[in-house]
Amino acid sequence: MNQLGEISLSLSLVVVIYAAFASFVGSVKNNEALVKSGQNAFFSALGLYTVSAVVLMYAFFTRDFSIEYVYNYSNRDLNKFYTVSAFWAGQKGSLLLWAWMLSLFGSVAILQNRRKNAQIMPFATGIISITLILFSVLMVFASPVFKQMTALPPDGYGLNPMLQNPGMIFHPPTLYVGFVAFTIPFAFAMAALLKRQEGEMWILSTRRWTIFAWFFLGMGNLLGANWAYVELGWGGYWAWDPVENASFMPWLVGTAYLHSVMVQEKKGMLKMWNVSLVTITFCLTIFGTFITRSGLISSVHSFGETTVGYYFLAFLITVIVFSSWLIYSRRELLRSENRFDSILSRESSFLFNNLALLGAAFAVLWGTSFPMISELVRGVKITVGPPFFNKVMTPIGWSLLVLTGICPLIAWRKATFSNLKKNFIIPFVTAVVGAMAMIAMGLRDVTAWLFFTASVFVLTTIALEVARGLKMRMADGRENVLTGLFQLVARNKRRYGGYVIHAGMVCMFVGFTGNAFNDQREVAVKPGESFTIRDYKLTYVGAEYNKPKPTKDSFVATVLVEKDGKKLGYMRPEKNLYSNFDMPNSEVSILSTVKEDMYLVFLALDGENNATFKAHVNPLVKWLWIGGMIIGIGTIIAMLPDRRENRFIQSLMETGKKV
Amino acid sequence: MDIAQKKFLIGGLVVVGALTYLVYTGIKETSVYYLTVSQSASMATTNRDFRMEGTVIPGSIKIAPGSLGADFIITDAVKQVPIKYHGAIPDMFKDNIKVVVQGKYDKDGVFLAHTLLTSCPSKYEASKQGGKI
Repeated sequence: MNQLGEISLSLSLVVVIYAAFASFVGSVKNNEALVKSGQNAFFSALGLYTVSAVVLMYAFFTRDFSIEYVYNYSNRDLNKFYTVSAFWAGQKGSLLLWAWMLSLFGSVAILQNRRKNAQIMPFATGIISITLILFSVLMVFASPVFKQMTALPPDGYGLNPMLQNPGMIFHPPTLYVGFVAFTIPFAFAMAALLKRQEGEMWILSTRRWTIFAWFFLGMGNLLGANWAYVELGWGGYWAWDPVENASFMPWLVGTAYLHSVMVQEKKGMLKMWNVSLVTITFCLTIFGTFITRSGLISSVHSFGETTVGYYFLAFLITVIVFSSWLIYSRRELLRSENRFDSILSRESSFLFNNLALLGAAFAVLWGTSFPMISELVRGVKITVGPPFFNKVMTPIGWSLLVLTGICPLIAWRKATFSNLKKNFIIPFVTAVVGAMAMIAMGLRDVTAWLFFTASVFVLTTIALEVARGLKMRMADGRENVLTGLFQLVARNKRRYGGYVIHAGMVCMFVGFTGNAFNDQREVAVKPGESFTIRDYKLTYVGAEYNKPKPTKDSFVATVLVEKDGKKLGYMRPEKNLYSNFDMPNSEVSILSTVKEDMYLVFLALDGENNATFKAHVNPLVKWLWIGGMIIGIGTIIAMLPDRRENRFIQSLMETGKKV
Repeated sequence: MDIAQKKFLIGGLVVVGALTYLVYTGIKETSVYYLTVSQSASMATTNRDFRMEGTVIPGSIKIAPGSLGADFIITDAVKQVPIKYHGAIPDMFKDNIKVVVQGKYDKDGVFLAHTLLTSCPSKYEASKQGGKI
C-alpha cells in the first residue's frame, strides 16, 4: 500500500515535468494537441497526488507506524479529528498537502480559462507545473514522504499536545490555501507578459483567485493567532515570531496588490507595479514556506531538516531572476496610460495605501532578519521583539486605517474642495465629536484615542455610502429599506463586499487597540484564598487530579470568578502531563465578553495543593474574531458571480478588444 | 517630468524617508543585546536591559515556597553568574537546562531578571530519545 504512495509521487514528478514541457512547447509551436496533452498531464498529476494523500491518510488511520512520519505524529490513543490533522503536523505531509492543493487549484483554473484565455493558459499551466516540480522533487528526494522505520514500533510517538486543539485542524490548511492560491494570479501575470498580451484580461480572470487567496491567507493568520491565544497560554495572540511574520508579509503585499490592480483596471496605471507586486507576493509565499519548514529560524514551527531549505532557496532565486528579466524585457507593454495628476485623488490614496502596506512588510522583514544580519555583519547577537514591531507598526496601521475611510470616497484624478467637503464633512465632524466624547469619558491613552477616533471616521464613511446608495434606490418609492439594501449590494457586490470587509477590519483594529489596556497578575495562593485583578475577584477553590488517558495525567484547578460582587461562574484551567513529551502543557481558561477577556493560566501546584496562577484581563480581544467573521461575509459578497462583470468579459472575448 | 509629477516624487520620498527613519530608530531603541555569560561582564555598569543565555548549574535552584520566583546560578562553562528572578517559573525549568534571562546587573554583580525563558529541544517532534527502537 505504501509502495503505491511512493510510486505515485515518483510518477507525479515525471508527469509535472512533462506537463511543463508540453505546455510551453505546445504554446510556442502553436500545437494544440501538445497543449491539450500538457493539460491532461496536469490533471493526472492531481490524480497522482490524490492517490498519495489517500495512502498517507489511510496509513494514519490504520496506525501504520512502519512509516516514520506516521510514527512521529500519531499514536493509538489519538482521536479521529487529530489523526486527520496529524497529516499536516509536520514537513512531509505539509509538502504533500501543498502539492495536492496546487494541482487542484491549477486544474480548476485550467478548466475556467482554457477557452476564455486560450492564448495565455498554456504558459500559465507551465509555470504552475514548474512550481509542482519543486514540491515533487522535495517529496521524492529531499524528504521522502513514505520513509520507512528500521523496525516496526508497537505504538506511535503521538501528536504534540499543543497541536491537539481544534485550531490546529484549520490553521495550517487554511494558511496553505492562501499561500498556494496566490500562485494562480502570478502564473497568469507572467504568462500574459511572456505572450506579450496587452490589456487587463489576466487581472479580470484572476480577480476571484486573488480575493480567495487573500481571504484564506488572512484567515489562516487569524486562526494561528487564535490558536496561540487559546493554547500557548502567554496571554497574547501575536508574538512577532519569525514564522508568524513570514506568513504575515505575503498578506501585506497581497493586500497592496489587491488594491492597486483596481487602479490598473480603472485607469490603466501602475502596470509594472502590479506585475512586480504579484511576483513579490508569490515569492513571499515560497519564502514563508521556506522559513516555516526548513528549520532556518528556530521558532514555534521549525523542524530539524535543513536540506529542504536549499531547494526552496534555489527555486526562489530562479523565480526572482526570471521575473525581473521578464518584467524588464516587457517594459514597453507596461507603460501607464494615464498620469498621476494630484495628490488629492483616489489614485494617490491607493498609492499611499500601497506605500503603507509595503512599508509595513519591509518593517516586518527588517525586524525579522536584523538579528541574523547583525550577527553576520557585526558579530553581535541582538533580539528584536514586540517592542520594535509595535513601535513601527502602530503609526503605519493608523495611517492605513485613516486611508480606509478616505480612499473609497475621494474623487478620481483630482478632488476638488467641494467634492472633499461633500464626502468628508460628516465623517470628520462625527469623528471629532467622538474624540471629544472619549476624552470626556476619561480616555487618556493617546494611541488608543487616535485609533478609536479613526475607527469612528471610517465607520461613518461606510455608513454614509450605504445611506446615500439606499436613498437613491428608494427615491422612486418602489423599494423599502430591506429590498433597497439587498438590491444595492447585489448590484455592486464588489464595492459593498469591500465596504463590509473594511468594516470588519475596523473591528479588528478596535481589538488591537484593546492591548493598550491589558492588565496581568501572577499570584501564589492556598486553597480557599482569593485574589483580585481589575474588578474581578478570583477564589482558588481547589485542584483535582485525574487520568483521562493512559498517556495523560491531568491536574484541574477550580476557581470561582466574581465581578462587582456578582458570581460569574467557575473557571477550570488545567495542567496536563503527556508521558511522551517532556513539557507539561497548560490548558488556559478564558471568560470572554465583547468588553474584555478574563484569561486564567494554571501555572503550578505543590504538594500541599497550593497553586500559582497568572491572570490576564485583555480588553476588546473578542473584536478580533468578530472582525474576522465580518471580513468573511464581505469576502463572500465580493466573490459572488456578477452578471455585469460576466457580460463585460464576454464582450472582451468576442470583440477581441483591448481593455 | 512636470510639476505634478515632481510633487509626487517628493511626496513619495518623504513617506519612504519617514518609514526608514521609523525603522531605524525602532531598531536602535528597542533591540536587546543577547549575550553569553562571559560577554555579559561588559554590561555590568550600563543601566540597560539585556538578555543572557546560560545553563543552570545543578543544585543551584532555590525556590522559596509560596513565592513567585527563583534564585539560581547559570554558566557558559567559563564563567558563572547568580540570578535573582521574580515571576512565574516556566514548566521546563530545572537543573542543567539552557535558559535565557532578561534584566540587568545590580550593584553587587547579581543579575536581576524579570523574564526567564526555557528552550525546548524539539517543539513539535518526538524528542529523539523517547520511544525509538
